[in-house]
Amino acid sequence: MTIATERAAIAPKAAEQPWGIGLLRRIIDHRSDYLYILPALLVMLVVIAYPVYYTIELSFFKTPPNLQMKDKIFVGFDNYAAILSSSSFHRVTINTLIWTVFSTGFAFLLGLAAALALHREFAGRGVLRAVLLIPYVVSAVAASYVWKWLYHSDFGVIGALAVQFGLTDRPINFLDNTTTVLPSLIVVNVWKEFSFAMVMLMAGLQTVPEQLLRAAQVDGASAWQRFWHVTFPHLRGVSMVTVLLLMVANFNSFIIPWIMTSGGPAGASDIWITDIYNIAFGRQRYGVASAYAVILFIVMMVLGYFYVKALTRGDEARAG
Amino acid sequence: MNNSRDREPKANQRSYRRMLASSVAFGLTASLACTTVQAQSVDLSKWSPEYVKSIAGTEEVDTAADCAKITPLDYKGKVSVWWTGPNDASPDIDRKVHEDFWAAWKATYPNIETDYQNIDYNQLLDKLRTATLGNAAPMVVRLQILGGIEFASKGYFHELKPEDVGYATADFWPGAMKSVMYDGVPYGIPTNNETMAMIWNADIFQKAGLDPESPPKTWDDVVKYSKQIKEKVGVAGYGLVAKQNAGNTPFRFMPQLWAFGGGALDEAADKPEYKSVWLNNDGAKAALQASYDMYVRDKSVPVSALTNTQNENQAPFIAGQLAMMIAHPSEYAKMVDLASKATGADKEVADKVVSNMRYGLIPEGPDRRAVVFGGSNIHVFKDEYVDGGLDEQAAKALVCFWTSAEWSTKLAWVTSNPGNLRGFKTKWMKERLDTIKFLDVTTSMLPNGIPFPVIPEATEIMNIIVPDMLQNALTEKMTVEEAADDAAAKVEELLSGL
Repeated sequence: MTIATERAAIAPKAAEQPWGIGLLRRIIDHRSDYLYILPALLVMLVVIAYPVYYTIELSFFKTPPNLQMKDKIFVGFDNYAAILSSSSFHRVTINTLIWTVFSTGFAFLLGLAAALALHREFAGRGVLRAVLLIPYVVSAVAASYVWKWLYHSDFGVIGALAVQFGLTDRPINFLDNTTTVLPSLIVVNVWKEFSFAMVMLMAGLQTVPEQLLRAAQVDGASAWQRFWHVTFPHLRGVSMVTVLLLMVANFNSFIIPWIMTSGGPAGASDIWITDIYNIAFGRQRYGVASAYAVILFIVMMVLGYFYVKALTRGDEARAG
Repeated sequence: MNNSRDREPKANQRSYRRMLASSVAFGLTASLACTTVQAQSVDLSKWSPEYVKSIAGTEEVDTAADCAKITPLDYKGKVSVWWTGPNDASPDIDRKVHEDFWAAWKATYPNIETDYQNIDYNQLLDKLRTATLGNAAPMVVRLQILGGIEFASKGYFHELKPEDVGYATADFWPGAMKSVMYDGVPYGIPTNNETMAMIWNADIFQKAGLDPESPPKTWDDVVKYSKQIKEKVGVAGYGLVAKQNAGNTPFRFMPQLWAFGGGALDEAADKPEYKSVWLNNDGAKAALQASYDMYVRDKSVPVSALTNTQNENQAPFIAGQLAMMIAHPSEYAKMVDLASKATGADKEVADKVVSNMRYGLIPEGPDRRAVVFGGSNIHVFKDEYVDGGLDEQAAKALVCFWTSAEWSTKLAWVTSNPGNLRGFKTKWMKERLDTIKFLDVTTSMLPNGIPFPVIPEATEIMNIIVPDMLQNALTEKMTVEEAADDAAAKVEELLSGL
């Protein structure tokens, strides 16, 4: 009997039984499958489920700096109310949206351009591909320190070159200015992330049928028309996944903003994660920080839902 | 029931009791006398560069013998310790002294297995907080003077006083002892104490038309000198630092705030109660205005001040691009170190800077001359919070060794001063005074030292709220008045328990 017919035979029986018994029956029938994934499930329970549960629990408590965690005070939804009503949360949320949208957008566009360029065959393509991958493989911590010095407002290389070429009178103030700091950090983030988008889209480009492109060319389609009507539709799935993964990564970004500015100056580059870290470890308000983290978790879950939808769209279409 | 006659002591009992009483009385007297002698062994009322020089090298110490009274030298056990030791920016000599310390410790207590971790200054508190939440703290930790209060208030620390490891409380600075007391209970021992001084480049002063041998006397002079230097020489005048969540910022800004009559709370008062907020009084606003004038109005300080810690001031200073900064005595050794590693034209510049380096007292303000009474304290965690449990004997041995006159002097070689005042009388102190330039100047600032408020909220106030206030004013996100009022409101809120 094939698996499909076996499932078909079980399905009506399960439908007739109460839900709990049916589930139990299915678990028993597939016990060896469950045993295989049990170790992984246990590890996930310990390293993911428990921290998530504890964070949610902690979000309902107040943790003053002079009290141990075991003496925490229950405050219900006060921590959530405190965060959602604070003006700094609104400022930080705007920063987070700017950071995420622009980082994701530019990294994707740059990655797409690089992928399209590297998809053609030309001399030195392998070397260029390797070079463009360097930002992705460089440690984010090391990259942050290097960029911090490149941007340095008094002695940075970029500022010095700008002065030398007569572009400005004095070194450009990248990181110590509330207006320029966030765009400056986004540039670093895009530099670090675009190679990831490039790799993903290069893989996607392999799936575009060559004969379709040739046929379009024979029909007189311009390069743009070939891209827009043939290549891009084939990249839609991988693009969706890439954008979602970049968004999740950017919502959770910590290393670059923390090392380069710690959220400063005057909170101008504070994003959700740096703010949460500061509230928890700088100000020791673990309860408030946990409530904040739960809000971020919900946002991540929504994005995660769309990510899974995007990933399984092909499967559903095939099943349908 | 006994009658009165039965209760009368017999003659031999009487003589025994008398002997016992006499012994106790003698012991107490001897102990008091001993404490008095120890208290007087370093006379703080005479404190001056000359006095410090006069007592150096007058006392011999035997650390192993002292610590053997607490924990036998053949004791077998284990100890774990976290502390902030030398890093890449530290002078070579600092690294060598720490290597010598661990070698000496191993030689003295060969059977105590030691797990020691040198953790970055700005990460130690966060890491320790996380570790204590998971009952995975080390047995011993050395924290900066401000760091221990929150752990003590939460009940993580073992009660610990100098007498527990064989020393007298009188052998430590009273201000330093205040920093290890919470609710009247001692929970640590000072390892080192220091105050900073004003460092300047005499050559830049001369080029700017200033007296190369005189530091600015007041904070108003700092503002004036900084502007004059920027205008005439084109380099940054004063090395302002205003990075958030970095200990460097309050250590440099609070002396300015106190000098003008401000404060975070009333820590600068004779008898501080830590209840009233001084962050937005007239003095505090005047101090903030001085920083604003340098950064925004005159643009005479590094633009990168908002992301700088003191480490970032070292490179411009040795390159002759910065004229003044507030720093430790170790800054001279660091500059000598940097100059020795420079090459070509850079070396010429660096050598010139080193030869033109001068140390002076931190400027006065309208109210006082002030400096942060800095340093570090060593603490022992309670058994239940220690990863693997506390080995009290081993921990006490390490604390005794660390806070001894010998090692509290040697470990503070270029960065600080011994927490154990008897260290000032050792031959090593004499050697330091003979070889470390300007040590006498920074040491003489000690009586002007003001400790940070001894309350658990102090870390947030000093590392977050005060730097935030500076950043809000210097980026012009708020006016000076608004920034001061905003910071004061945050402190009020924090103290009210919200």
